[in-house]
Amino acid sequence: MSATKYKSFGDPELISLCLKGDPQAWETLILRYRRLIYSIPVRFSFSAADCSDVFQAVCLRLIEHLGELKDDTKVSSWLITTTTRQCIHVRTQKHRENSTDDEFDEPADPGHSVEEIRIQSQEQQRVREAVDQLSDRCKQLVEMLYFDHRNPSYEVIAQTMHMPVASVGPTRARCLEKLRTVLRRQGIH
Amino acid sequence: MQHINTEDLVDYMDGRVSAEKTLEVEDHLSRCKDCVELKSELELLVLRLQEDTTFEPPAELVQWGVSLFQPLLQPSTGGKLRKLIASLVFDTFDQPLLGGVRRVGAPPRQLLFRAGDVDVDVKIESMEANDRITLVGQVLSTTAKFFDNTPVKLESHGIVRYRTMTNLVGEFSFDEVPKDTYHLSVDLPEGQITLFCVHRGNS
Repeated sequence: MSATKYKSFGDPELISLCLKGDPQAWETLILRYRRLIYSIPVRFSFSAADCSDVFQAVCLRLIEHLGELKDDTKVSSWLITTTTRQCIHVRTQKHRENSTDDEFDEPADPGHSVEEIRIQSQEQQRVREAVDQLSDRCKQLVEMLYFDHRNPSYEVIAQTMHMPVASVGPTRARCLEKLRTVLRRQGIH
Repeated sequence: MQHINTEDLVDYMDGRVSAEKTLEVEDHLSRCKDCVELKSELELLVLRLQEDTTFEPPAELVQWGVSLFQPLLQPSTGGKLRKLIASLVFDTFDQPLLGGVRRVGAPPRQLLFRAGDVDVDVKIESMEANDRITLVGQVLSTTAKFFDNTPVKLESHGIVRYRTMTNLVGEFSFDEVPKDTYHLSVDLPEGQITLFCVHRGNS
């Protein structure tokens, strides 16, 4: 995947490039929001197959609605709403397929948890966006510390980032402070 | 009162401080509401960062999402096939089940795709017994014309798995193919129609 050149572009710019037929802009958009889309069916405790189905359906809807979203700065909100609806739809459908007469009228959707899922997804997305606002160095450090499933040691991080091992701790503290500041500005504590 | 700095607090949360420092931090936390609040905030932040990796979709799924865009890019050039994206205009999966209706097994899924003046009607029937699906369909034109002898392909993971041709009235059939997510494409003289996600694994 090679969509790095558009990484700093905003959503309206990316959508406008997509509408002009630029595949890298679309790739950037998918990479930017892949975790947001996938996180919602995961939070609904769907099976891997259902999570994939929801992901595919939402990608399709996104491509179909690009034209309507071109002036929208908040693609994430649209995605949260669309993905949540798709999840509710899948869950309701499955519930009705599996229900017996006795439970036929039971609501498939306990609204409270759906709202919680929406809020959690929104907050998680803001954390992602805040990480994106950090300097490249901070971003690299945060990614190595928290996103790398190999859990690299301080020594490996220091070597990769060309810094003394003793600087990893203080740099991490500074980066987390910056991240906290960005999130506080967005009203997330 | 001297507060604990973020570095020491993060190291403490990670268990990277000495026993002596641990006691010092804990003693301060027992007396300082501000530092307890900072610690909770940092813990939540770190948790959110760590949690994010659990939402990583499988790489092939992301690739599928990325490759969705490709058909849009194919320019309409001379003798080459033009690719069109068909929109899903009807799907029984999206329709509510009738109240009181019960049946054994999943009902067949009926989908109707539209690209320009061409409709592709697809029915997917799932056979739970052998984990296979049968996919039958018809390529129709809004004009009275039938698309006979037209190549139809089923692709999964970027590879053409099955091929067939439409009959005299534009019908085609793929019998008992393994369950998977397929792209169905129809090669028409005026372009290739690609239908996405003809099976979502739950039909």
